[in-house]
Amino acid sequence: MAAVLPAVVEQLLSEMAAAVQENARIPDEYLLSLKFLFGSSATQALDLVDRQSITLISSPSGRHAYQVLGSSGKTYTCLASCHYCSCPAFAFSVLRKSDSILCKHLLAVYLSQVMRTCQQLSVSDKQLTDILLMEKKQEA
Amino acid sequence: MAETLRRVLTRDGAAWSGEENTPVAGPPLLLLGAPGSGKTTLLFAAALEAAGEGQGPVLFLTRRPLQSLPRGTGTTRDPMRLQKIRFQYPPSTRELFRLLCSAHEASGPAPSLLLLDGLEEYLAEDPEPQEAAYLIALLLDTAAHFSHRLGPGRDCGLMVALQTKEEADSGDVLLLALLQRYFPAQCWLQPDAPGPGEHGLRACLEPGGLGPRTEWWVTFRSDGEMMIAPWPTQAGDPSSGKGSSSGGQP
Repeated sequence: MAAVLPAVVEQLLSEMAAAVQENARIPDEYLLSLKFLFGSSATQALDLVDRQSITLISSPSGRHAYQVLGSSGKTYTCLASCHYCSCPAFAFSVLRKSDSILCKHLLAVYLSQVMRTCQQLSVSDKQLTDILLMEKKQEA
Repeated sequence: MAETLRRVLTRDGAAWSGEENTPVAGPPLLLLGAPGSGKTTLLFAAALEAAGEGQGPVLFLTRRPLQSLPRGTGTTRDPMRLQKIRFQYPPSTRELFRLLCSAHEASGPAPSLLLLDGLEEYLAEDPEPQEAAYLIALLLDTAAHFSHRLGPGRDCGLMVALQTKEEADSGDVLLLALLQRYFPAQCWLQPDAPGPGEHGLRACLEPGGLGPRTEWWVTFRSDGEMMIAPWPTQAGDPSSGKGSSSGGQP
């Protein structure tokens, strides 16, 4: 498929998905692994999940995207299929420096998938197009 | 995507042994080369190959209509296959964004292969890396959506051609790192020849973890037809790259 996460991250996420019941607490061993892999982003991502900051936007066509309400109040768009986030941290550390694996918003999206908890928003196909297009810089 | 390209490249050469006949798309593939290195021809050949597999239509995106259909690699340009290739010509980066963002609105069968020729032209309009990253992410997301519409067990492949320059500047290095992150499979077309007095291009295919790196020798006949042969790797061949051969100078 698309760009893949490192194997260790994929494995951790799938183990968590199997172990975590819907809306239940994440067992400590996984929290430790998350912190080991992601450092402070893990805490921030968990916080985003707790605050219900992630919304899955779906359309009748089946195409979907995620939006995450960041701590600054700004909303970022995440494409889970290819591990993309519109936030500046993603652009800087993930794309340029390549030392972080994921930004906290993408991690929050994957955690909310694992825990099967996030806000849901249904929009029309046309509305989803507009949402995706909006990410393109609007300034002339 | 490397699998389809490999089938195109090996058709003239030895059969690839041990392959199962399952049309799995594989990771997105980036085709790189200087102007005139045959990227469009290879891309088009991959389009014909995928169209012939009967998995669904092929979507070929390029900025300008092709002046003439590339001569191809020896496959007869079967009209049935050609009919399955849908060409679209987004004239600007904004139009390409619009096309990709609205891909889910289109009705009809989902394509089994998405191809884009001339990525560098679209990226040149918007030098910001964030915009480039979003464009590439949308290409992948569009292919992922098509895969979803094709149903379980079927995938939409993605193949993108990018023209490289003679000398890379720092912006190019950044772009290349970005591209390598999103395109695990790559095929480089570089001017090279297996021996003195010969010319042509070396096509080096890295399937992105699905198999070893393989190389082919690509030449163009005077009528424009592309000829492909496996890159010779006889012992003692000075251009064979990896060490290991036992032969000395003959």
